[in-house]
Amino acid sequence: MLEADSLTKDYPGGVRALDSLDLKVPPGEVFCLLGPNGAGKTTTVNLFLGFVEPTAGRALVCGVDSRLDPLAARRKLAYIPENVMLYGKLTGLENLRYFSDLATGYRLDRGELLVLLDRAGFPVEEADRPVSGYSKGMRQKVGIAVALAKRAEALLLDEPTSGLDPLAANEFARLIETLRGEGMAILMVTHDLFLAQQCGVRVGIMRSGRLVRTLETVATDHLGLERAYLEASRVAEAS
Amino acid sequence: MTRPAGSTAELGVPVNPIATVARKEWLDVRRDSRWRALVVVTLLLMLASLATGLAQIRRLEAEHRAAEQGDRRAWTAQGAKNPHSAAHFGQYAFKPAGPLALADPGVDAYAGNAAYLEAHKQNEVQFRAARDATLAARMGRLTPAFVLQTVMPLMALLLGFSAFSGEREKGTLPQLLSLGVRPTHLLLGKGLAGAGVLLGLLALACVGLAAGLRAIPSGHEAQAGDGLRTAGLFLAYALYLVGFLALALAVSARAPSSRSALVGLLGFWLVNTFVAPRLATDVVDEALPLPTAQAFRDAVAADKRALFGHDETHPGFVAFRDRVLARYGVKRVEDLPVSFRGLSLREDDEAGYRIFDRHFGRLEAEIERQDALRSLPGFLFPMLALQPVSMAMAGTDNRHHHHFVRAAEAHRRAIQTAASQDLIDHARNGDESYVAPASLWDAIPAFHYERPGAAWAWRGQAANLASLAAWSSACCLLAWAAARRPRLS
Repeated sequence: MLEADSLTKDYPGGVRALDSLDLKVPPGEVFCLLGPNGAGKTTTVNLFLGFVEPTAGRALVCGVDSRLDPLAARRKLAYIPENVMLYGKLTGLENLRYFSDLATGYRLDRGELLVLLDRAGFPVEEADRPVSGYSKGMRQKVGIAVALAKRAEALLLDEPTSGLDPLAANEFARLIETLRGEGMAILMVTHDLFLAQQCGVRVGIMRSGRLVRTLETVATDHLGLERAYLEASRVAEAS
Repeated sequence: MTRPAGSTAELGVPVNPIATVARKEWLDVRRDSRWRALVVVTLLLMLASLATGLAQIRRLEAEHRAAEQGDRRAWTAQGAKNPHSAAHFGQYAFKPAGPLALADPGVDAYAGNAAYLEAHKQNEVQFRAARDATLAARMGRLTPAFVLQTVMPLMALLLGFSAFSGEREKGTLPQLLSLGVRPTHLLLGKGLAGAGVLLGLLALACVGLAAGLRAIPSGHEAQAGDGLRTAGLFLAYALYLVGFLALALAVSARAPSSRSALVGLLGFWLVNTFVAPRLATDVVDEALPLPTAQAFRDAVAADKRALFGHDETHPGFVAFRDRVLARYGVKRVEDLPVSFRGLSLREDDEAGYRIFDRHFGRLEAEIERQDALRSLPGFLFPMLALQPVSMAMAGTDNRHHHHFVRAAEAHRRAIQTAASQDLIDHARNGDESYVAPASLWDAIPAFHYERPGAAWAWRGQAANLASLAAWSSACCLLAWAAARRPRLS
């Protein structure tokens, strides 16, 4: 469960990046956050990760306040940024082993790691190649494999398909659907309305640090979502 | 760290996060051709410095040995001779290059390595290699100490400057932290890997040093304390290098970029390595100036003018003669049962000893006070604390030099005493033709210098070792504090 409770963040200079965000993402749900740049989406992710401290309110990961105990909160979630960055001199398998060792505190054997890569849609024949030659899609899949190894209860995705080709993006969406099916609470920040429509159970539209509208994807199609997005943006501008 | 709960990540072998980070960092270093090249270059520098140092020590030892043997031959070949003439003939006392001078030649080239031991005079140590060196030698020589004091800290900085900032710039730091890893575990893992590289190279340097010691000609063989001295060198350099690594990690965790971290750290390295030692020397010279060599000699000579020497008209001589005659209850020197000339020479020498002790003692104390003052800011600029420890453990600092000077002077006094005693016991008053048998010169042993033990060297460096430990600990604490909340943007 991911829960934002009147979550507010002011940056120095009086800039309010997030304004009283209330949000609950229960297990087995994908909540997509849409909004233009500067809407407060990434700030929300960073607050859940405990990378920044809230000015007011709480970000709870499975009941753990990420400000009070960021380590405990992080241990319950997995995070896939826009660009999963790996160590260029290590192979994909070595990268996965390193991250999974640190994430879990246990050493998985080669076979188990290859299973994880396979589940993440990674071509396992590439696992022993240095990652310096990997495409973005392959790196994102290693990131997914890390999340799988960690068996986190919640997943934070920050524009994970940005820059991926449509095929890779579609594959990524299916993986997210799989993780949701396993009971993960997933909060995904994206600019991609198609992805939000495809993966999200609910979609929240943010503008200037506020969640201005929430929709259920079953109740709308892509065009409806686009219209809602534009309307919400205009309403927010007007207000 | 939570145990994975599901079937995919079935129970594996528990791993230590610090060891995991260290292993990965170690792997990164091993696979980086730039690091491999740097390690090879550093090892070659150490090897070259050991080889040149070894060649110099062997040459010096060979020269000393030849000179010692020649000097001894000349001394024992004097034949039947007046003992006091023999005392004036004199001997040389050669300062052996301690085997650990291979690690750090210290002040030896400036302090000299041979003392001429003659009657009535405590001479200054001569044959200063720096005086005979070419102008190019003023640029400094390649020694293991130079490599360890200047090149290795650079390596420590290069190992640490981007440890956190580089991860941040690549984007891996947020990913690592999002795993729930303690930032201090990252610090310890990175520190462990870096320290492994540095201490591994330092250990190799010590192994090279030990191999070098075995290649030094016998006669100046390693003493039991050399192991403890080498341990002292290892400890001091380890504190120095670990401090630099910790400082680099601290700066890396908080600096806005790797570039700014490197610039700041290089600035400190420059000040510590080149500016602080020179500045400290200048400040100390101003604060505690030493007399010039000429002023020192003039002061000794002025005090010695109060002694009677060979001047039989000197009031001091007359007074001494009257005291001796009274003590023996005779009226004339010719009636004394012992040689008055021998007694008067001994009296004059003993009065001279007090003057030499006072002047040389004061000079040595002033030099050692200068050294202590120079190393005082060592807790801020560790080079100032490291250099004296390195020289002391190698046996090439001022304190060791003064120990040699005192040993050489004690030998000179033993020669004087033996010569005077022979006169006292065997010469007849009024008979100026007395000569001692040639066997007397053999009976006076050759100078043999026993280096002070390792405990003596350690005791003299307690304050500097404490400074190094304080600096290193402060850097580690700084790194700990900085890494607890590493900069993320």
